[in-house]
Amino acid sequence: MLSVTNLTKTYQEGDREVQAVRDVNFGGEPGEFIAIVGPSGSGKTTTLAMLGGLLTPTEGSIQLNGREITRLSPRELTEYRRLSVGYVFQANNLLPFLTVRENLLVMSWIGARKDEGKQRADQLIEELGLSHRANALATQLSGGERQRVAIGRALMNDPEIVLVDEPTANLDSVRGRQVVEMLMRETKDRNKLTIMVTHDLDMAALADHIYEMHDGVLTPSRAKAA
Amino acid sequence: MIGLLEIRRRKLQFALIAAVFALVSYLVLMITGLGIGLNELAGSALLNFDADRLAYADTAGKSVIRSEMSQETVDRVSSAPGVEDTAPLAYVAANYVMPDGEIGSAALLGYDPGTIAEPDVTSGRPLTPEDTNGILADRRFLNDAGLDVGDTVTFQLRLETVEMEIVGEIDEGAFFFQPAIYVLRPTLLDLKYGELPEEARPVASIVLLKGEPESASGEGYEVLDKQTAFNNIEGVQGQSATVTSLQVFGYLVGAMVIGVFFYVLTLQKISQIGMLKAIGASSGFILLQLLVQVLAIAAIGLVVSIGLALLTERAIKGGGEIVPISFTTSAFIVAGVLLLATSALAAFFSGRQVLRTDPIIALGQQL
Repeated sequence: MLSVTNLTKTYQEGDREVQAVRDVNFGGEPGEFIAIVGPSGSGKTTTLAMLGGLLTPTEGSIQLNGREITRLSPRELTEYRRLSVGYVFQANNLLPFLTVRENLLVMSWIGARKDEGKQRADQLIEELGLSHRANALATQLSGGERQRVAIGRALMNDPEIVLVDEPTANLDSVRGRQVVEMLMRETKDRNKLTIMVTHDLDMAALADHIYEMHDGVLTPSRAKAA
Repeated sequence: MIGLLEIRRRKLQFALIAAVFALVSYLVLMITGLGIGLNELAGSALLNFDADRLAYADTAGKSVIRSEMSQETVDRVSSAPGVEDTAPLAYVAANYVMPDGEIGSAALLGYDPGTIAEPDVTSGRPLTPEDTNGILADRRFLNDAGLDVGDTVTFQLRLETVEMEIVGEIDEGAFFFQPAIYVLRPTLLDLKYGELPEEARPVASIVLLKGEPESASGEGYEVLDKQTAFNNIEGVQGQSATVTSLQVFGYLVGAMVIGVFFYVLTLQKISQIGMLKAIGASSGFILLQLLVQVLAIAAIGLVVSIGLALLTERAIKGGGEIVPISFTTSAFIVAGVLLLATSALAAFFSGRQVLRTDPIIALGQQL
């Protein structure tokens, strides 16, 4: 269902051309949990942003369920992000003045799956173990709770693809592991394709498939092959 | 709903913002109120005439002070085609002497009871043709002088001293920066022209008229609408220009402060707006949130400032009306609409500016 071919992103930095992502090829199916591991600056987040319709690739193709994402107009990209993508950013996921529940409902407010919004929000809050915090403001949450809310928000629109950027960056290893396990569970239960970017090999080890990224080049990881 | 929820959750912060808006709006309203007060002092009695137009002697150069009309001219105005109703009115400035010896100036207006020139009496009773020594005095004059209906006032004119009795109180305001005092027209003509033989005496200064005369002038007279007549009051034009400039500057500075304020408010939300864009919120949705939020704050601030302005007006009027101040509903509406429109514009333009932000900023700095 996801098929990425020859994906390339080139930046102009002064009079120098920087290839952030070089000729990346990979694919995925619903229910799969894919991890991309690499040091910072390796092009992981850039790859994720192109999949999520936030960046336009310089070359290559991204096919999701038969749709060519790279050819969408800005308006169509907004709709693609709203209806087809669940994105967990590294930071600034939540509106600080809203409660947990309201942060999930933001998705219905902006027009994604309006009808079932409240029901879906309550269901996700329960699944993510946040029932006792449903009416707490985002600023009152711990780092782990915030990431769980962000994951809930990413699942609110019943997306075709879930993209997760360094979900454990600000968490200790125990909480980080809980968050990744939760992502894994949601991927399987809801039959979603999840792509997680991380620099933490231990977290990546939980995934179905692991890729490594170095200087913009993506290769299947030896870690999983072993 | 995000915009309104933010106000509810950050009450203190938004209360402060609304307070700043209220203060700026209060400043604009006060300048407007003081301007209206000053203009009313110039001649609210003229604007309060129950007439559409005024006829002047064509030799008067549109000045009530210099206008003098004969019975024939008054009759010609009355019978001009298109004129529905008329009333002659005579004007003279006279000095009054306070019980403590202080001298002030009053605008005496001579009218005929039963005509459209008759003012509304707010307390006491109207003049009858027998009240040759009676006056109807403006509320503010009575307040300032500490006089009441039934008291007498001493007037000085042409080296003569006349005692007049206050029969009624009126609320017509000022005429030529002097309190308006109505007397019977024959009384006024006697005061003004004294022993002049009947045939040499003018009978009125101006004629108030209703209707729309077909011609703006006739033999010996010309007709002005009330607003033009007001603008032609000696000194009003310069004063109006100053008052208008004050209002325009007050409004411009106020608009800029409010505009910059909301602009900064919006710029602070840039990372949140980036995040909303990244999860697929449309520009229209984000703009609507900003607009609703800014208008809600502005509306609260405006209501507070109108309350403050009315309280100030009451305080000033309670303190003896040394400072002329007056608010009209239309002044509040105009200032309110202008300030709300400015706020909406500021929200709209700053919103458009931040909407140009690439949603990629939601990803943070590392790219």
